[in-house]
Amino acid sequence: MNILKQRRMFMIAFSAITILSITRTFTDNSDLTSADTISQALGFAVPIGLAGLAGIWSERAGVVNIGLEGMMVLGTFGAGWAGWQWGAWAGVLAGVLFGALGGLLLAVAAITFGVDQIIAGTAVNLLAVGLTKFLAIVLFTNAPGGGQAQSPPIKGSIPNITVEAIANPLITLHDKGIFFISDVAGLVAGLFYQLSLLSVITFGLFAGTSYILWKTRFGLRLRSAGENPWAADSLGVNVVKYKYLAVTFSGLLAGLGGAYLSIASTIYRNGNTAGRGFIGLATMIFGNWRPGGTGAGAIMFGYIDTLRLIDTGNKNVRGLILLGALVLFVIGAYLMRTGKRSTGTAFAILGSVMIGAFLAAKNFPPEVAQVAPYITTLLVLATASQNLRPPAADGVPFRKGEGH
Amino acid sequence: MLKGVKLASVLAVAAMALTACGSTASPSSSAPTSDVKVGMAYDQDGKGDGSFNDAAYAGLSKAQTDLGVQIKEVNSGSSATDASREELLTLLAQDGYNPVIAVGFAYSTALAAAATKFPDTTFAIVDSVVDAPNVGSLVFAAEQGSYLVGVVAASASKTGHIGFIGGMEIDLIKAFEAGYDQGAKSVNPNIVIDSKYMGAAGDNTAWNVPEKAKAASAGMITNGADVIYAAAGGSGLGMFQAVKAAGAGHWAIGVDSDQYNVPSLAKYKDFILTSAEKRVDTAVYDVIKGVVDGTPLTGVQNFDLAKDGVGYSTSNSAVDAYKAAADKAAADIKAGTITVNTK
Repeated sequence: MNILKQRRMFMIAFSAITILSITRTFTDNSDLTSADTISQALGFAVPIGLAGLAGIWSERAGVVNIGLEGMMVLGTFGAGWAGWQWGAWAGVLAGVLFGALGGLLLAVAAITFGVDQIIAGTAVNLLAVGLTKFLAIVLFTNAPGGGQAQSPPIKGSIPNITVEAIANPLITLHDKGIFFISDVAGLVAGLFYQLSLLSVITFGLFAGTSYILWKTRFGLRLRSAGENPWAADSLGVNVVKYKYLAVTFSGLLAGLGGAYLSIASTIYRNGNTAGRGFIGLATMIFGNWRPGGTGAGAIMFGYIDTLRLIDTGNKNVRGLILLGALVLFVIGAYLMRTGKRSTGTAFAILGSVMIGAFLAAKNFPPEVAQVAPYITTLLVLATASQNLRPPAADGVPFRKGEGH
Repeated sequence: MLKGVKLASVLAVAAMALTACGSTASPSSSAPTSDVKVGMAYDQDGKGDGSFNDAAYAGLSKAQTDLGVQIKEVNSGSSATDASREELLTLLAQDGYNPVIAVGFAYSTALAAAATKFPDTTFAIVDSVVDAPNVGSLVFAAEQGSYLVGVVAASASKTGHIGFIGGMEIDLIKAFEAGYDQGAKSVNPNIVIDSKYMGAAGDNTAWNVPEKAKAASAGMITNGADVIYAAAGGSGLGMFQAVKAAGAGHWAIGVDSDQYNVPSLAKYKDFILTSAEKRVDTAVYDVIKGVVDGTPLTGVQNFDLAKDGVGYSTSNSAVDAYKAAADKAAADIKAGTITVNTK
């Protein structure tokens, strides 16, 4: 990573924490940066992030993966079925395997048969939901503690890690409420507090993906299959092989995300993915088909969802509104400096409106709490989408020997 | 390319076939027999939720053993629409099932349409009112049962701070919250009550997100709540997990069935103080019995405390200490000295 990029990332992190810190001080709400919140946000971010990462693998190799949700469903089912009988780790294994099978199915349809990738992905989604429902009825109906729509409880669990030597002093520091310092303490403490081992594995997968896809010969070839497969083919790269590997691995990652969900809630239940495969797809686009941005997007989703859920007395909603306003101002200022005057002004005006709302109302109706996360997401997506670039041959079927 | 399209269509058809509702028909038992064929339509995925749908099934299977009726069960599936639900009910009625019982408010529109098409069939709907001469509307005074557990919650709380987790934010669930709040405040007017819904009206995921309910409950516990009541379908599991994680001194209150005795919740048993029961089983049984006896129950059937349609469970002995207060409240409600809010 070059110096300029490092400096830019540091600036982004620094402004993000400053904004959080200002919001926390103004709303007098220590929940915004507490270890509990961060730890929970990471927990919510893991399945979404894994779905997003799964999307990166598939789409970087040029296969649009609408079927993520279905592969995730297969993962939740596999984890419930195997976890109930042989324990949580067996559940992870089965979830991953089932997900990979879903990926393989998409690969066969999209790569070998050249089916329209959106249609093939949709078919995987429908098939996964139907198949798991059917299997749930067959396998779980008469199992003790199970039912037509849910598995019996999963045996055992995946351990949570708390590094007390780091977390405890930082939590104490957070509780002191010092501007900026306490917030950093809370954020860092959250990383070492009640962290699922699966979350650690997810961090590893993100780092590994970043390295493999962008720093190795294998990765270059895989990405070339998504940028210009015909050129790659002419240079002797086995494009079909790379696409198969990528899409199957994509299913595996989505399956892991599904397994995480079932294990976190200790059972498989029909519909417990609740659309996270699609949210993962959105974070992938938000993250510009790169692991860093996708991870950040997933954490943002997790963070906003957490704030909404742990909110008592709607104070977090106020916090979110102020937070959103400040973010809009900062982005607006940045845009103006880079010459995009009209867009920048629009952001500043929107920010002022939100500040006005923040000052005018002490209490927001709960309906605002329900939609606040989506509005914030929309705003961030609207800003981020200015500079997105998907892989050039994403979604284009490839036939060996055919030109383009 | 053609081959590919074929495969995709085969996959799609297979998926549709598999998504279609699963159904089971059990042979009637040997003892009493009856010609009455009962058609039961559950919403979404039906039995196995450890609460509402299982309670309906309990009533059905009691009728099967006691009255010897034949039964058929169908599910609407999670992508059901009014049209698909109506088709399901129509098919049951066409096949001679009478009564046809629809479990859940989501059937309201579909049942109204089906009931006009088959004026000679008795229909029943749980949790909703459909105004037609051949329909029995089985509604429950859920707010009354919730009032009682509210009394228990406030009496058991040491911190003066309790919580409520709702599923979808609709009037049906808000009635649970209203009764709970009123009951709790009757014991301790200054009690703090946190409330959180898992999804807005129309958001079907609200019933299937235990991990979110867990986060919300944990948030309430962090803020000082020590008793939490969930009326959130499958999401309620998350509340039990959060309460168990918080450890002794924290209590969970279940809903619909006596969740203390639900096998899939056995792990959390020791933390389930009581449950606000909604006797869907009684109601379903009464409807079937009405048809068997030739006196079908139609019109609005309000199952309240007085009719034993709602109540609170006492299977965990920890609730004994608060029984006197709850029973007194129950008596007052029955006598009409207390009116419980529904919103």
